[in-house]
Amino acid sequence: MKEFSYTIKDEIGIHARPAGNLVKLVKGFTSAVTIEKESKPAVNATALMKLMSLGVKCGDTVKFTVQGDDEDAAAKAIEEFMNANL
Amino acid sequence: MDYNKCAKEILAAIGGKDNLISGAHCATRLRLVIADNGKVKKSVLENIDGVKGVFEAAGQLQIIIGTGTVNKVYDEFVKLAGISAASKDDVKKAAASKAPWYKKAIKTLGDIFVPIIPAIVATGLLCGLLGGLSKAFPNFANTQIFTLLDMFSNAALTFLPILIAVSAAKIFGANVYLGAVIGMIMIHPNLINAWSVGDGTNLPTLWSWFGAWNIHATGYQGHVIPVVIAVLILSIIEKWLHRHVPEMFDLFVTPLVSVLITGFLTMTVIGPVFSQLETWVLTGAKWLISIPFGIGSFLMGAAYAPTVVAGVHHMYNAIELSMLAANGQNIWMPIATAANVAQGAAALAVGFKTRNKKIKSMALPASLSAFLGITEPAIFGVNLRFVKPLIAGMIGGACGAAVASIMGVYATANGVTGVFGFLITTESFFGYLLTFVVATVVAFVVSWIIYRDKDEEAEEAPEAESSSDDVEVKAAEEYDDSFVYSPLKGKAVLMADVPDETFATDVLGMGAAVDPSEGKVVAPADGEVTTLFDTNHAIGLTLDNGMELLIHVGINTVELNGEGYKSYVSEGDRVTRGQTLITFDIPLIQSKGYKTVTPVIITNPDDFKSIVKAADGDVGFLDKLISTEK
Repeated sequence: MKEFSYTIKDEIGIHARPAGNLVKLVKGFTSAVTIEKESKPAVNATALMKLMSLGVKCGDTVKFTVQGDDEDAAAKAIEEFMNANL
Repeated sequence: MDYNKCAKEILAAIGGKDNLISGAHCATRLRLVIADNGKVKKSVLENIDGVKGVFEAAGQLQIIIGTGTVNKVYDEFVKLAGISAASKDDVKKAAASKAPWYKKAIKTLGDIFVPIIPAIVATGLLCGLLGGLSKAFPNFANTQIFTLLDMFSNAALTFLPILIAVSAAKIFGANVYLGAVIGMIMIHPNLINAWSVGDGTNLPTLWSWFGAWNIHATGYQGHVIPVVIAVLILSIIEKWLHRHVPEMFDLFVTPLVSVLITGFLTMTVIGPVFSQLETWVLTGAKWLISIPFGIGSFLMGAAYAPTVVAGVHHMYNAIELSMLAANGQNIWMPIATAANVAQGAAALAVGFKTRNKKIKSMALPASLSAFLGITEPAIFGVNLRFVKPLIAGMIGGACGAAVASIMGVYATANGVTGVFGFLITTESFFGYLLTFVVATVVAFVVSWIIYRDKDEEAEEAPEAESSSDDVEVKAAEEYDDSFVYSPLKGKAVLMADVPDETFATDVLGMGAAVDPSEGKVVAPADGEVTTLFDTNHAIGLTLDNGMELLIHVGINTVELNGEGYKSYVSEGDRVTRGQTLITFDIPLIQSKGYKTVTPVIITNPDDFKSIVKAADGDVGFLDKLISTEK
């Protein structure tokens, strides 16, 4: 299992477009990925609606948990995605 | 670096303006949304002088240009691409550019005044109430609570130039904080308060222009026009400097020089011009009211409001004071009352007659404030904008003033007008009452007759009135679980034709889109609000049949930050079919350069065998939009 945190730098945060792209990315891996925002319960990163309902804004820190066969590659790809987009 | 050239080359490399959906910029990058990424020549883009990098992210084409330069490239880019992404103000300016200059000037004044009306109304009402109370109960004026409330009541009027300057800076595109500084200079405590100047003699003077002429060290309390002119000058100087000062000095040279030049011109040129104008107005007013048989008063009653507009009415209290000193009879105050309440009545008529909710909600409080003696909201916010009510008010003011003169109405003090004027006209109560009534009735009737909503204002009205009503579900209508019913009214659009890659390629899910003709989203079926963006531009529902639905109003409209959107539900709410979820202002959103086409997306498409658009052409609320198969 891999875990890492990321602090959002994008002004708008995780709105529809980046959320959709993130879900698409995560779906490309077999590992189970969850996202957790501070106090809120973790959500499955392939559930677009739940992801959006986290209401992640600029300055928020989210924690990713990746578990599965391709967890290393998945974690790396997600981190790159976050760095490039959010 | 040549910003125009850079912008031109970028536009060519992305496939021209037809291939551009919208554009914005952040601190370092141009963020463009492209219709067809296939037309973008990335290698060409990367080699443009000034472009430091290009990549696609989150469905946007992001072009790195760098701090300090990206905004300048963006400005050029916006012009070339013909997008109005920047602001409503630009669109307004474009719309106004065809009108003759005086109409533009009036419109600009209105635009500047409208945002600050709440501040003026609050203090205006308080001011009138306190003035009235202290005349009714003379001891009240000596209490400490009065001192405290008096401070609240006159703050906005005392510091009006700062409010005006900030609002004007926004309209003219100057830095808002520099605008505020100019406003502060104009009412600096080291200057004598304009309201306490009296007849203008024995004022301290300040040096100017090597002694060519001296300026009076008086402030601009309550002034409007000089402040607007000053900020206009500021915006011109500031913009010129931004273009001509090298970037590395821009940050400190431009603000310093802008404030210095504007401040100096304001105090030494604009100031003297206005103080000369005020002197003439004072002389003119004194001469006018000396014409007998009510004729002079009639003319003064008409001329009063225009002098308020010009901001040259501040020395009138000098007239009142000299009258009171001479024989204790202030015949000026009834004229002022007639003029003020007439403007209020004219605005009131507009408020009752208009079908535009925005104008209505502004006209009524503005009018109330005018009846208490503070006319600026009514004049600048309503009457001057439409001109005709101003004229109606002038006619009413003239008639009222003539009545006052013929009846020999006079006040025994000064400082209040309007309703509270009754307290200082006890010697001629009926005359004052008649003055008041004539001015009000004449202005109201004339304004009612000649004011008409312009087409654009009337059009908004029916939409605004019906927009938040829930859509009725016909009882007989059968409901089929396998369909998604349209949450909007408009034209059905194939998702692949939505001019945005993220939606068109089903990244978010599958469904269909609606190009709305009415700015309202209703619940397509019973369910729960799973997510509502706090910008109100998109809403996610989980329907009772397990379907997750995202309704995203417009493309890239997250950038509007909620402007133009209103929601009627919150996260976790249960909603029933036909219930209004969101309303949005289609013209406003489009005027900002965004498309309002609204994807309706099933975000759990994996739970379905097929998802197909089921409507062609026009769809009404709750018509079948998408058909699904499990």
